Amino acid sequence: MIDAPGPWASGPFTLVEGRSIISTEPVVTDGEDRTWLQTEDRSPTVRLRANPHYWDRVRGPRVREVEFRNDVDRRRALDLVCDTVGEVDIVTEVPHREAERVRRSRHARLVAVDSVRALAGAIDRGVDGLPLDDVRARRALNLAVDRSALVRDLFGGHARPLAGLTPPTPLTALHRAPGRLRPYPYDPSRAARLWQAAGGGSRPLRLAAMTDWEAVAHAVAAQWHTVLGLAVEVRILRSDEEQREARRRQAAKEPRDWDVLLLEQGSQSADVPPLELHRAFVGRSGEFRAGPVDPKFERLFDHLRSRRSQLWQVLAANRLDRYVTDQALALFLVAPRVLYAVNERVDFQPYATTFELADTSVRRGHWSLR
Amino acid sequence: MTLLQRLAGSARREPRGTLRVVDPNPLNWLYITYNTVEEPVRVTRRGKVRPAAMSSYRWRGSRTMEIRVRPGGRFADGTSLDACSVHRSFTEQTRWHSPHPPGTHFNIDPRTRAEVVDERTVRLHLPEPDGLVLGKLRATHVMSERFWRDLGFGYARDETGEGHW
Repeated sequence: MIDAPGPWASGPFTLVEGRSIISTEPVVTDGEDRTWLQTEDRSPTVRLRANPHYWDRVRGPRVREVEFRNDVDRRRALDLVCDTVGEVDIVTEVPHREAERVRRSRHARLVAVDSVRALAGAIDRGVDGLPLDDVRARRALNLAVDRSALVRDLFGGHARPLAGLTPPTPLTALHRAPGRLRPYPYDPSRAARLWQAAGGGSRPLRLAAMTDWEAVAHAVAAQWHTVLGLAVEVRILRSDEEQREARRRQAAKEPRDWDVLLLEQGSQSADVPPLELHRAFVGRSGEFRAGPVDPKFERLFDHLRSRRSQLWQVLAANRLDRYVTDQALALFLVAPRVLYAVNERVDFQPYATTFELADTSVRRGHWSLR
Repeated sequence: MTLLQRLAGSARREPRGTLRVVDPNPLNWLYITYNTVEEPVRVTRRGKVRPAAMSSYRWRGSRTMEIRVRPGGRFADGTSLDACSVHRSFTEQTRWHSPHPPGTHFNIDPRTRAEVVDERTVRLHLPEPDGLVLGKLRATHVMSERFWRDLGFGYARDETGEGHW
């Protein structure tokens, strides 16, 4: 992270005002492995200016200046981009429930991107009172979820059912092709049979979720209750401190007060999603792993790491994904599309894994050109 | 600027206009970095890893990755970006046990030795095969000498780079 403005690097822009940094707290995930809990610290304004030395003349930068407004909260920002001109040009991470409002707005349009993100549940495979160490029970939880209904009712169509932990994007099609990896179907009768065969539960299942996924948690809980006859206690982690504490305990493998925790996790590239997705949920050093280390997963991950050719990496990633899916080592829900509200005079070029503005430009009539 | 020049990418269209952005994503600190800093590789709009500060790479055997640095590279302060810049970034990174906020999974094996072969060539000699190293280079931020001297990743503030890359 860049602590202060200066001509420090060679990217398309230069930081000329403000800061967007984090303070970090280490958590040991396994042996020598660490992850870091993060707390944001942003100045009210962060300003970037085009770097005249940037080498990629075709890519950009195409705008002279970018001003990040950190003095405006998300709700107010949506009002400004939808209803005014010159205050806000782009709002990222638009909640799916607000998509229609943006689409109907006077000044903004909705841009949706197939990102490399997965909304999935970490399943605690070591709890008492529930048979979550039994693959039949974990499959039952997956078979009892109607992903199409989630996509339709809660995401307005802006999500895709998750097959394994590899989000379906054009670049990950090959990762999912061998073995025809498909999402768990919604199969209530098979789910109920498997849940009973695994012994059912002697207590309610505790389902936790971050605030953004509250509606998803309630929908999943209702489906489990209906299909499996399972009592589900939903807990929403609302405050920053609650979320932080849950992440800390989970990463450090300390006792937890949930059985399934819904999380959204992304990958910084589509080339090898297991580095950030499968490893995080299942791997030895995984910050979301809840349950014992899985030796076969570790062997498959080591195999992936040993491959240098991209084709062999894709095949190794597919084997890993099929194993994680077959063993139901997570609750696979959906890959949400990332939504942006963008001023109608901005030619926004979104990225599937990050937020970069080198290729984005403004059109004739934009407020800053008048 | 003629259409031909533009198609050939040899002429830069002058940047124009201002964008005002509200980004609630908690990874905004990382996006500010990616908008201002280059790494040996970047990730395309669709999510593919591609050369950035480097122009190409190749494996020499199973444990040595050879990086060719882009010719004529410059930092925003006008100084040159060359093989020594990439070597310095790699060396600075390996000073720390866990420099990257996501965690140690982005570490390149600390036993790796970086060798400057010439002005444009760096070789990474890995102790064992690691096919994920290309993607991990996305976390190796290539910075100017002035950055390392005056600021560093948390060095000026916290006197450590742990968790601040």
